[in-house]
Amino acid sequence: MANQGGSQHGIARTSRVRTEAQRQRDLERIASYRVLEDDLRARVKNPRTAYADRASAQHVFDLTTRLLRLNPEYYTVWNIRRRALLVLLPAGPKARRGDCCDRSSCSCLGETQPSHGCPKAGRSGTTADDAGDHTSEENDEEKKQDDEETEKQTRTMLQTELEFTIPLLIESPKCYWIWSYRLWILRQSISRLPVPVARGIWQAELALASKMLTKDRRNFHAWGYRRHVVAQLESDALGGGSMVEAEFQYTEDKIRADLSNFSAWHSRSKLIPRLLEERGADEKARREFFEAELDKIHNALNVGPEDQSLWYYHQYLMLNLTTLPPNNEHTITPTLPIEDRIAFLRNELAEIRDLLEDYDNVKLIYEALIDLTLDLCRLEGKRKPDEEEKENLREWLGKMKELDPMRMGRWRDFEEGLRREWGVEA
Amino acid sequence: MSEDFSDIPEELYLATEAHVKYIQSLDTRKDEYDYWLTEHLRLNGLYWGLTALHLLGHPDALPRADAIDFVLSCQHENGGFGAAPGHDAHMLSTVSAVQILAMLDAFDELEKRGKGKEQVGKYIASLQNRQTGTFAGDEWGEEDTRFLYGAFNALSLLGLLHLVDVDKAVEHIAACANFDGGYGVSPGAESHAGQIFTCVAALTIAGRQDLIDKERLGRWLSERQIAGGGLNGRPEKKEDVCYSWWVLSSLEMIGKTHWINKSQLAAFILRCQDMEKGGISDRPGNMVDVWHTVFGIAGLSLLKYPGLQPVNEVYCMPKSTISRIFGR
Repeated sequence: MANQGGSQHGIARTSRVRTEAQRQRDLERIASYRVLEDDLRARVKNPRTAYADRASAQHVFDLTTRLLRLNPEYYTVWNIRRRALLVLLPAGPKARRGDCCDRSSCSCLGETQPSHGCPKAGRSGTTADDAGDHTSEENDEEKKQDDEETEKQTRTMLQTELEFTIPLLIESPKCYWIWSYRLWILRQSISRLPVPVARGIWQAELALASKMLTKDRRNFHAWGYRRHVVAQLESDALGGGSMVEAEFQYTEDKIRADLSNFSAWHSRSKLIPRLLEERGADEKARREFFEAELDKIHNALNVGPEDQSLWYYHQYLMLNLTTLPPNNEHTITPTLPIEDRIAFLRNELAEIRDLLEDYDNVKLIYEALIDLTLDLCRLEGKRKPDEEEKENLREWLGKMKELDPMRMGRWRDFEEGLRREWGVEA
Repeated sequence: MSEDFSDIPEELYLATEAHVKYIQSLDTRKDEYDYWLTEHLRLNGLYWGLTALHLLGHPDALPRADAIDFVLSCQHENGGFGAAPGHDAHMLSTVSAVQILAMLDAFDELEKRGKGKEQVGKYIASLQNRQTGTFAGDEWGEEDTRFLYGAFNALSLLGLLHLVDVDKAVEHIAACANFDGGYGVSPGAESHAGQIFTCVAALTIAGRQDLIDKERLGRWLSERQIAGGGLNGRPEKKEDVCYSWWVLSSLEMIGKTHWINKSQLAAFILRCQDMEKGGISDRPGNMVDVWHTVFGIAGLSLLKYPGLQPVNEVYCMPKSTISRIFGR
């Protein structure tokens, strides 16, 4: 029910009255679309005949090409294309060994597909690895050529599929079905091609994800897709290793280009624990890392104190100080002594207060000051605020109410909490 | 308690009749190219339209018998529903089918003329990834917290939640939580209001709201309201009527709708109406569609805007339907 496909986002309302000529044009488009759709439906009505042989499967496949170009949201047609492709793709060496299936491609087989079984009788079960079982070297040579041919064909077909979706993705970058189909094709490469070849295909995919994120820096699909592609490239299935350093650098580049890119800040927060662990960072290195991140966010806040993205990242860094052992193994500085945490918080209060000199009408600054003050009280044995702090809290809360009356209900709840938990009377 | 909407200008009012006519017209637009291009959303569209009509107080504006016939015509042997006859079964359309039958009090028709509740439940349960607890949309394996929520929604309506591993699914949602209190589409993904709705609603259905950091999440959600009164879905993004539902219902579930300005949000939604021809758009002056129409109306209902039936914040269905099914 959260599917947004087909809804009208950001298209200006125009007169809904069509001229007769426009109506006629619509009717013609509908007619040709429906002829195509009817043709495809008639063909796949009986799955046993639709994909019975290569010629039938090819015909079905070609119809999906035409239909998807007209309507990439038509998920059933993407499924039909997958079913046809499974017939058309040669059964490769990996496939013949019987380990070709990932979860999704297998589950479809029972319903609509003859099995991947080797089409060449007698070859079933042979692989490049067990070639030694065969005595005839000629046979081996012939088989090796066959395998190379199969690999080449598979590779070409999968790459053609990836290319087919590119113009569709450029047209509809938020269409879930296209992204999902691409991933399915990519998974086929893992199950059907030698690791280095499959890896090459996934690496090219990472470049595509980067390109999409250059076009739309916050595209939710593209960021998620990128994480997925990276996880695959890191996996054993693709003979991968950690890419955490490169990905961390990627967030650095994205943030440098646009401080407001919260997607990049978020990604950074998710990479940091792994980054430090893999660097084998000791206490000192972790502390320096934390200080460098603080510097970075201070510099950013000095330029854009109204930017929520920056404050969220600031909150993330402050959580590092306020989350104590034993539940903080994923923080930047898990072993930081309590006195140092307190010192950092005090320093932070001073830094953020300095911002008020240039910006006295930014609610987010006051909110941070209140958070920091209460964090400090909590870390210092959950003490009550002293008189000066109470005065500050009252003043800052007053500022928030004044600057942000939209969230008055929240400030009132907060005020009540201040009174009840911290003894700060209004 | 009625809300105060007195600061909304008089010319902004709910165009109930126009919306009813707009929704009734949706299935008569067969001479429009878009009608055919959106067939993959037909069953979702029926759920959106029917929910809007129920909330507008015109539950009979679409003929009940036709709606039931259409829903049942979309069912496959495996129990799942496709978007329309000839479309493959998918979680999203299956959930819509269950919601429509629930609203129409027609589960008995599913037993008599369809494949029966149990089969629907089995189809949904077959899409759970038993290792991670999450759900796929269909046999091809795309996973997303949207599907997890859909599964919980439909299965609980059918009384069949026991068919799935609820604890595993809950663990998966917990793994999607972020430091800002929100949830993403999968572990590691950025918080997004639509995904927060799915995760918070799924946790609510599972009776596991204890896992939610309500304070932090409430702060994040309330910051989604921006100048002009509308809500956005992520920091530094534009407002959009659909978030009137995703953000507001999430706030309602954690008891914090009063953290935003209700009257300004209501005014924003009202400004997105097409007053003459009916329907609601993403932002004022844009093209309307049934998707923004239902979420705009559901948002107004949650805000207790006058003239609307109350909506349930977890299911996005009339409260009366939910009380009838769960007996509360």
